[in-house]
Amino acid sequence: MEAIIPYTSELLVSLVSFGVLFIALWKFALPPIMKMLDERAEKIKDSLEKAEETRVEAERLLDEYKEQLAEARQESNRVIEQGRKIAETMKDEIVAKANEERESMLARAREEIQGEKRTAMAELQAQVADLSVAVANRLIGTTLSANDHKSLIEKFVAEVGSLDAE
Amino acid sequence: MDLGESIQELLHELQPFAVIGNNTGKTSLILTNYMVFLIIAIALTIVFFVVASRKLTLVPKGVGNIAEWGVEFVRNNIVLDVMGSEGMVYLPFIVTVFFAVLFNNFLGLIPGLKPGTGTLGTTFAWGIMVFVVYNWVGVKKHGLVPYLKSFLPSGTPWWLVWLIYPLEVISHFLRPFTLGVRLYANMYAGHIVLGIFGIFVVMSLAALGPVTAVVGTLSLVMQIIMYAFEVFVAFIQAYVFAILTTVYLNGALHTH
Repeated sequence: MEAIIPYTSELLVSLVSFGVLFIALWKFALPPIMKMLDERAEKIKDSLEKAEETRVEAERLLDEYKEQLAEARQESNRVIEQGRKIAETMKDEIVAKANEERESMLARAREEIQGEKRTAMAELQAQVADLSVAVANRLIGTTLSANDHKSLIEKFVAEVGSLDAE
Repeated sequence: MDLGESIQELLHELQPFAVIGNNTGKTSLILTNYMVFLIIAIALTIVFFVVASRKLTLVPKGVGNIAEWGVEFVRNNIVLDVMGSEGMVYLPFIVTVFFAVLFNNFLGLIPGLKPGTGTLGTTFAWGIMVFVVYNWVGVKKHGLVPYLKSFLPSGTPWWLVWLIYPLEVISHFLRPFTLGVRLYANMYAGHIVLGIFGIFVVMSLAALGPVTAVVGTLSLVMQIIMYAFEVFVAFIQAYVFAILTTVYLNGALHTH
């Protein structure tokens, strides 16, 4: 039992030692440590908040870009479609115009041909008449009266003219 | 030397003795061996924390990080857990309690050294100190009479007050003893266990033979296992001492 009772000097030394340690920790060691712990907690909190903000901003930008991209695609499709329409209209117009021109050229050509043909016919008729008279003269050796000539020619011409009517 | 003598010597060696002064009795003015180790441990604690607190970096590293980790442990796992944020006022006191006990316990684990907490003089003194501090905090918060009244659990029937109140008062007065004896006994017993296995090893070597070789080897293995266990006990006892201090403080603030 005697061994259990503590030495008074041990009680005093341990209390004083504790007091010294308490003052050293309380006044010198703990304030900077607590400050650092708080600062770090604050810093981590800030960093997390900032990261969250950045994430939200990045997401917003992505959405914006996606939207813009979609718009641009729509716009380009629209432009292409418009271009196609214009090209088609132009094609139709060109084709129509070409057809028209061809038609008018054909018509003119036909008219010209008809004109030429008529002129040629008239010339032919005149020459045929003269030629006929000359041939007749040669064959008959006599000269027909003016009236004979005339009736003969007219008869001949009528015959030739009927060729023209075809 | 036989086993009995060796154990006697071990027990005797664990008793405090005067390093400075003349040991004429329990009240003589002496510096015991335990006090030398206590002062060394406290000095190391101060040096460690003061150096660490000058080497703090925002990105934790080195000695500053260890000190921060220790303080954070006490703050989160002891003070905030038990008392919440109102306990932060008492953080310096509880940090001191925790690390004073921890460094002393650890110092005793270095072979040849003893823990400052291995004598009742230290543990009992600190138990009384905790008792005084928490009661003082309670009296300051509630006033002397309401605080003393609060020892009685609420809902005690009036006809049992004569029995319950003295029991409650006694339980309060037992706290410094339980605090002191628990810590002292753990340190003391740990050293006895390590010492006895040590004696087994030494005696086996002295009388080397087939049987003693096995006994000596097993004892050495046991001593290593017990040493690891004592490291754990050193930490746990510091934790228990600090958390009980916190619980008592919390009880004094929040009387029932």
